[in-house]
Amino acid sequence: MKKLAFLLALASLSFAVDYDPIRGEMLSLSCANCHGTDGKSTTSIPKIAGLDKNYMYQTLLEYKTGKRVDTHMMQKHTKGFTDEELEQLSYYFSKVK
Amino acid sequence: MINRRDFGKLVLGATALSFTACNSLASGLSTIPANKKRVVIVGGGFGGAATARYLRKFDSDVEIVLVEQNKEYYTCPFSNAVIAGMEKIDFIKHDLNTLAKKYNIKVVYAKVTKVDGANSNVILENGEKISYTRAVVSPGIDFKYEKGYTKENEKYAPHAVKAGEQTTILQKQLENMKDGGTFVMVAPADPFRCPPGPYERISLVAHYIKNNKPNSKIIVLDQKDKFSKQALFSNGWKELYGDLIDWRAAQFGGKVISVDPVKKVIVTEDEEIEADVLNYIPNQKASQLAFDSGLVANGKDWCDIHPKTFESKLVKNVHVIGDASNAAPMPKSAFSASTQGKVVALQIARILKQQEPLNPPKLANTCYSLLNPNYGISIAAVYNALDDKIQNVDGAGGVSPEQDPDGHIRILEAKYAYAWYESQTSDIFK
Repeated sequence: MKKLAFLLALASLSFAVDYDPIRGEMLSLSCANCHGTDGKSTTSIPKIAGLDKNYMYQTLLEYKTGKRVDTHMMQKHTKGFTDEELEQLSYYFSKVK
Repeated sequence: MINRRDFGKLVLGATALSFTACNSLASGLSTIPANKKRVVIVGGGFGGAATARYLRKFDSDVEIVLVEQNKEYYTCPFSNAVIAGMEKIDFIKHDLNTLAKKYNIKVVYAKVTKVDGANSNVILENGEKISYTRAVVSPGIDFKYEKGYTKENEKYAPHAVKAGEQTTILQKQLENMKDGGTFVMVAPADPFRCPPGPYERISLVAHYIKNNKPNSKIIVLDQKDKFSKQALFSNGWKELYGDLIDWRAAQFGGKVISVDPVKKVIVTEDEEIEADVLNYIPNQKASQLAFDSGLVANGKDWCDIHPKTFESKLVKNVHVIGDASNAAPMPKSAFSASTQGKVVALQIARILKQQEPLNPPKLANTCYSLLNPNYGISIAAVYNALDDKIQNVDGAGGVSPEQDPDGHIRILEAKYAYAWYESQTSDIFK
């Protein structure tokens, strides 16, 4: 259990980037076309506003590596972003109220 | 002495004068107050509306004027569903009322004749001028009228690429076509508005014909040899419609020599074809406004821009977005125009605050197409806007999987096509 806690702590440490809200917002602009303004979707496309940043980042990485598969739309988009950009995006959407 | 007729003229003249004064489209906008900055946006479609809505998001202080000639806007996305009778025309109707009220944007309904870069103003058809600090031009496309196709006879062979009246004309023509008729589409040469658009249209026309006029046939005369999502469309056509759609590449009989829209006769290199319904989609270029404003270089069809800010390469302080811009490899799509509008809004907000534009901005595109109401396919790409060009991000993007044995992906993508439309239009018009 201690080992798991340690690993989790490491994982959250390794996530830490300098959050740049303006850059995060710039990167988010295309997302809003499908996921709604600031990710506040009201359609069958999932809402992403307010998601936990770690969860969202993990999910985006899983799309990018092909571990998680949807209709392939998210694979196509996540592969266009660096890991650091996906972190910024995750931070941005996690902070949307 | 004034006789009765002259008196009538005077009264009429006075009425006309006061009418003009009361309806001054842009009164008070010929100059900018010393402590203000004003961005004038020309065109209230996906590009212009996105710019206006997001510029307000990024700058609560700047004065935003959106000039649009039509009070109602019909979107090209989903206009094919209207033509095929799947949706009513109101489904694709939007206006700028909510945008104007909710985000404090002054909307001027008027036709713009020129963006005068030398004097930093936008000139309206009635001669009025609106001064700007920066202008964003999102005027869309115009057509190359040639081979017998003219502005005057286009209603007989509607292109339906500018949605609205043309959409309805084509829908009615299809509805009135006899069972056993021939529906002919002429598809344009690259580049043109919405690369998968003609092929989605022909799919949905096939869906309509299969259900309503099963003895009819469809011929597509293409002015090029390949098209967007071609394998997905071709396989879908075979699966859903058998051999109903006869698509002819330019090099194999598709090339059109001349057209008579009134008689609905098309002459190709090989034969003369008589259509019952003729959907003629001409080759395209940037809107005439872009040419008249000096935004298109000699001998070119589209507006060259600096990729990071979409500022015109020819006219300073004027940004060109959407279909009129040369943003290749980005396609001329609603999604592209909207993304460009948002990024340009962010960059202009920074420029007006004396900040460096963000570097490099990231852009993306997604296009869904329907082959029938429950069969969707898609294409997507992500781009970096570099100093000298817009570049596809290697390894990103692509089309729907070719194989979908249980059909789940096609069904889901059809649902996403509708969901995207609702999200996209809500994002910028509401």
